[in-house]
Order: sequence, then C-alpha cells, then structure tokens
Amino acid sequence: MNDLHGIIFAYRANPELRELTQHRNTCSIPYGGRYRIIDFMLSNFVNAGVDDIGLVVHQGYQSLLDHLGSGKDWDASRKRGGLRILPPFSYAQNNSTMAGSFKGRMDALAGVYSYLENIRQDYVVLATGALAINFPLKEMFRQHLSSGADVTALCTHEPKCDPKGTNYFTIGKDGVVSDVIVHPMAASGIEALDVYIMSKDLLMSIVDHCSTHNIYSFSNGVLLGMLGKIKMMPYFYDGYAARLQSVPNFFSRSMELLDPKVRADLFVPERPVKTKDQSNPSTYYGADAKAVNSLISDGCIIEGEVVNSILSRSVRIAKGARVENCILLQGTDVQEGAVLRYVITDKNVRVNPGRMLMGHETYPMAVAKNEIV
Amino acid sequence: MLLAGGQGSRLKALTSKVAKPAVPFGGKYRIIDFPLSNCVNSGIDTVGVLTQYKPMELNAYLGNGQSWDLDRSDGGVHVLPPYLGEGEQGSWYKGTANAIYQNLDFIERFDPEYVLILSGDHIYKMDYSKMLDLHKKAGAACTISVMEVPWEEAPRFGILNVEDGDKIYEFEEKPKNPKSNLASMGIYIFTWSKLRQYLIADEKDEKSSNDFGKNIIPAMLGAGEVMMAYRFQGYWKDVGTIDSLWDANMDMLSPKSDMDLYDTEWPIYARSAVRPPNYMGPDASVSHSLLTSGGEIYGKVENSVLFHSVTVEPGAVVRYSVLMPGAVVKAGAVVDHAIIAERAVIGENAQVGEAPSPRSEEKNIAVVAQDLKVGSGAKVEAGAMITKNVKGGAK
Repeated sequence: MNDLHGIIFAYRANPELRELTQHRNTCSIPYGGRYRIIDFMLSNFVNAGVDDIGLVVHQGYQSLLDHLGSGKDWDASRKRGGLRILPPFSYAQNNSTMAGSFKGRMDALAGVYSYLENIRQDYVVLATGALAINFPLKEMFRQHLSSGADVTALCTHEPKCDPKGTNYFTIGKDGVVSDVIVHPMAASGIEALDVYIMSKDLLMSIVDHCSTHNIYSFSNGVLLGMLGKIKMMPYFYDGYAARLQSVPNFFSRSMELLDPKVRADLFVPERPVKTKDQSNPSTYYGADAKAVNSLISDGCIIEGEVVNSILSRSVRIAKGARVENCILLQGTDVQEGAVLRYVITDKNVRVNPGRMLMGHETYPMAVAKNEIV
Repeated sequence: MLLAGGQGSRLKALTSKVAKPAVPFGGKYRIIDFPLSNCVNSGIDTVGVLTQYKPMELNAYLGNGQSWDLDRSDGGVHVLPPYLGEGEQGSWYKGTANAIYQNLDFIERFDPEYVLILSGDHIYKMDYSKMLDLHKKAGAACTISVMEVPWEEAPRFGILNVEDGDKIYEFEEKPKNPKSNLASMGIYIFTWSKLRQYLIADEKDEKSSNDFGKNIIPAMLGAGEVMMAYRFQGYWKDVGTIDSLWDANMDMLSPKSDMDLYDTEWPIYARSAVRPPNYMGPDASVSHSLLTSGGEIYGKVENSVLFHSVTVEPGAVVRYSVLMPGAVVKAGAVVDHAIIAERAVIGENAQVGEAPSPRSEEKNIAVVAQDLKVGSGAKVEAGAMITKNVKGGAK
C-alpha cells in the first residue's frame, strides 16, 4: 500500500499526566510493560504497508528519539522514505522565538510545511501518537477509496475516553458526519479516535486555508470549520482503544490489560506491535516469589510478591516486598519489605527497605523518574 | 571465525531441523549468542560464521547481524557456507581446519594480523581482547584458551602441558595419565601469517583429517612455534549432550553458577521476539524459574526455564524442565525433568518425564521434539526421546 503517507502527531505533553510527562511527551509514555504508547500507532502504519512516516515533534522529544532510533525496529529505516522525525523547522524560520508548543495540529502541520509539499503519495493518514489501538488501517484506507469520502475518520461505537479531550460525531442517514461535538462535558454519540485519512491535495489546501486564517486547531478548523463543505465519513473499529489523558486514566487504562480480552484486541498475531529491541534476559522468579494476575516484562528479578500489577523491564522486587495494584516502570527497584499499593513508579525509581507507599484507584500515587523514596 | 557447522548429533531430536548453535538456550538466547556477544563485547567487529549442517534457521536468525550490532558497512557478520569453485572444485568442510582453509579468501579480504577461532557450542563469557593481549605480549604463533578441570576428569579432555610462563610444550588428546589439568576450550588465537602457512601445508597432506586439535596444533608444536596457554576462569560449559544442555539451562537459575545474565557490562545479545509481557494468571505459581515474554502462565512452574510465548494452563505443573518458544502444556499435564522443543503441545493430563530417584546418577531427561503433540492422558517415560506424535492415552 504505497499510496498512503503517514503523519503522527507527537508534540504534546499532556499536563494532566503530571510526573509521567516531566521528562517526556505523551507519546513516549510507557504502556503495557515493554511498550511506549507510540509503538501502537507506528505498528498500525507499518503493518498496513505505510512506509513513509513523518513524526511531528516539538519539545521534550529526547526520550522519543532515544526510543525510536532510526526506526529499524519497526522496519521503518529505509533508504527511500521510512521514518522521519519532524521538529518544527518551518516554524523556527517564521517565528523568532521557539517558546511554547504548537497551538494546535494545523499549527503543527504549518510548522512542517516543506515536508508536506514533498510527500510522494496521493493520500495521507494523520494520527495521534498517544493512542493504544491495533486496528486494520489497510481496510480503513480501502473504505476511504471506495466510499468517495473526502475525509475518513476512525470512530468507535464504544466511547471510552475522557470527554473533555475528545470529539464526537453525529452521523446522518447518508453515512456522512453531520455534526461535530468538540470536547464536551459528557460523551455524546460516536467517538472520534483521532485518525483521519484524506488526499494530499485536500490536506495542503486545508493547511493553507488555516494558516492564512489564523486557525490553529484541527477540531475548529477542519472538523467544525469544514462541516458541510467536505464529505467526512466514519470508519468504525469497536475493538480496544486507550488514550492516556491523566494519571488516573493512565492507571485504569493500563490495568485493563490484565483482561485477556483486551490483550487479544491489542496484540493481534497478524498485526504485531513492534517496539525497540532491548535484549534483556528473561525474568527470574526466586524461590519465594509470588506473581499473580500480573503482566511482567523481561529482565526483572522477582523475589517478593506481585499482585494485580504491570512491571516494565528490569524491575527488581526484593524479598519480603509486596506490590499490589501497581505499575512499575523500567528499572524500578523495590527493596526488602517495602509495600506498594496503587503506586506508579517512573523509570529507575528506588523504594528503600520497609517503605510503605499507598495511593488509591482514583488517585494513584505517581513517583517521578529517578526519585528515591 | 565461528565454527557453526556441527550437527550436534548427540542432541538428537533437538537438532533434527537446526544446527546445534541455533538451539535455544537460557530463556532468551540461542547457543551462538554467547560466542557472538563475546566477540562484540571484546571489540571484534568482523565475524565469519561457518555453517554447513541445516543452516536455514541459523541464517535467518543471524540476518544482517543487527541484533549484535554486527550490521557494519566494513566487516560485520558473514555467513560462510561451503561452496564450489572453479571447475566445480570444492567440497563440504572436511574438518575444522579445512573449513578455515576454504575461506582463505574471506580472511585475506580483511587482511588481519590475528584470527580468533571459536566454536558455536559453548556457553561462557570471555573477553577475547585479554587473550589477544597475552598472545601479542608473548609474540606467540598460537594461543589456546585453557581451563583447569578436576584431575579425575582430565582424561576426558584435550590436555595442554605447559612450562615456564604457560608456554605449551605438549598437547595430549584424552590422556590416560594426564601431566596437567589444563583442558583446551577449543578457542584459538593465531597470528594469521603463521596459520595461513600451516593451513596450506595441512591441506596438501592427504592423510590429514584437517582438524585443529588433531593436525594443526601438533604440527605447530612439532615445528617449535611459540604457543601459549591462556588461563580462563569462570563459567564455561559444553552443551553438546541432552544432559549437559539441560544442566547448563538449570545453571542459569543458580546464583552460584558465575554466569550473570543480568550484568549490563557484558550483555548477551539475542534477536528477541517482540511479544507482550508475560501474563501470570490468578492462580499461577512460579518459583526459582526464568520466564520470558509472550507467555500465559496459569499453572505451576518450578525450577524451570521457559522461553517466549509458552502457555502453561490451569492445573498444569512444570518442574525442572526447559520449555522452548511456543510450547504448550495443557490443563492438568505434568512435565518433569524434560525438554519440550518449539511449539510442541503436551495434551491435557499427559505426563512427560519424571524426577529421577535421589540416588540416581542419570538425570534421564525426556525430550519432545519440535511441533509434536503428546495426546491427552499420554505418558512419556523419563529419558524418552519423542520424535513422533504420541496418541492420547498412549505410553
């Protein structure tokens, strides 16, 4: 499928994610043990044969660059095309200060205008990099080509996201989106999942239109602004989808992975989720270890108890330590006798012997990267 | 130059489809990952892998060497199968020395000062650069890595007798009355110009079996070349038999084994399968074991090494066993002292292997070859080698 170009928006650091976005933007948040959330969209693209992918970044993308490297682990390191990281190069020329972030997606696209001009495919798929989903993009593109729609939007009948940061569609009898509800207080109707396919020509004209009319936001400029002028149709995928919108939301979305049905939706053998190859050894379980209803990545050493938790790579749980309903990111070191409940520890956090940390399901305690408790 | 052509016939069913160096080991690895990672960690960036027996899996595994950082524009990993030359001259590799001889052109292309010869069937961590330092310092033509073995076991090894400053003066293959307990580990560094000369001479000798241990080393000793022994200390295991392969896997569980897979200073690289983390079910019980991603564990696992994507269903028990990638142990089945190869399925309530009696010297490891099915309720006896499907209820 060489006629589709991919663009992933990876420039946002959602402030609601507090400690988790202190050192990274939303797209490089670890999710599901060994993955970063960007792995899902990137794998969706690669599995659908989208070879040329532009990744729009702005600030705090060091961790993202570190994770992606040349893109070789996603088979996206190519002589021609492949993965391109797009910092705001046009933006820098036109604005004397680099302060602040993009004001919205249209602003971001205007920031990489010269890249867009050189896209060699006729169609473009625009997607958020902060959505855990495994959907058949190939089919969505096929539908776009056969339906005659100007824009095809990925939608679900099963709204799951926080309405404050989500768009909803009303679909008319002709199957065309007839109304758009932007960031309401309560969910209403069909939820948009932030993945859109359109032709390159349409995209260029929209970017031109928005930058000349001072419109920064995709929701306002395109979804609302072009309502009635362009034919937008939904493509439905009702399988699992998770957006990380806040710390409690990160917690509950992550914990859903303990459900085999959710894992079956996300980890489809025909469309594998690829990630950075780290060559960790296997995980060692000591003689007195206990690990139940948990997802445990490679490279851990577990000698204590782990219950209802998700462990990233190289986590150590010492003897007598107990971890319950926790998400422990890479390199977390829980020492002897420590007890953790409803805690999220970021990379390389150390919890000294005997410490007790307790959050709650609705307010999980998050410990920032490299901290020592 | 990594000799990876061996069939590993003593591993029987495990090497029916792959060469010995490609046999899975230690939860995450294949045997060849150890010498390859040692090369990379020692600063060697050009490696020839000599293949011969069933090389498909090995070739696919090595790929362009990316997983070991051996995808180089200059050097990198090269797979070297035997080939036919001008006038259809050529043959299978006749012996270890002949394998190198047939690749003279490959080595000449890189014009090296020294050549390191390794075999692809040992589990160990070793810094070859230290061995090279000794070789250079001594101005040796050949340096052989040696290990002290218990005196009573010395007659099973190729023994090197040394004098002042570990200079080798004699080599004895499996001596009845050993004069030393320094066993050759089959790791050689040669000064290339010397080795080249001896390889060419050896090839001309029709009676030679073209083997390093049998021919090249004795010839060099006979000619009075400077030959050094490099003493290695640490974990080293030849995994050429079912028992030793099982043993070495079990060693990975022991903190005393001196083989720290978690050491970030000397990592063992592997091409890893990208799988989601391992899921431990609500009633799972795991102790003293290594588990790898992609697995779904609902039953009981003790003292075992599980590779990626292994399923252990509720009520199933796995003890003192090695379960290779994709193996499935169905509900109620018991696997004890066994090696279950890739994707083999152990049916419900089946039993594979059993614990040896405490006094027994033999471990009697049962082996189920790859892609086979052991039917539900079937019983596979201790030490059995299963190469065909076993029907349900059968013994």
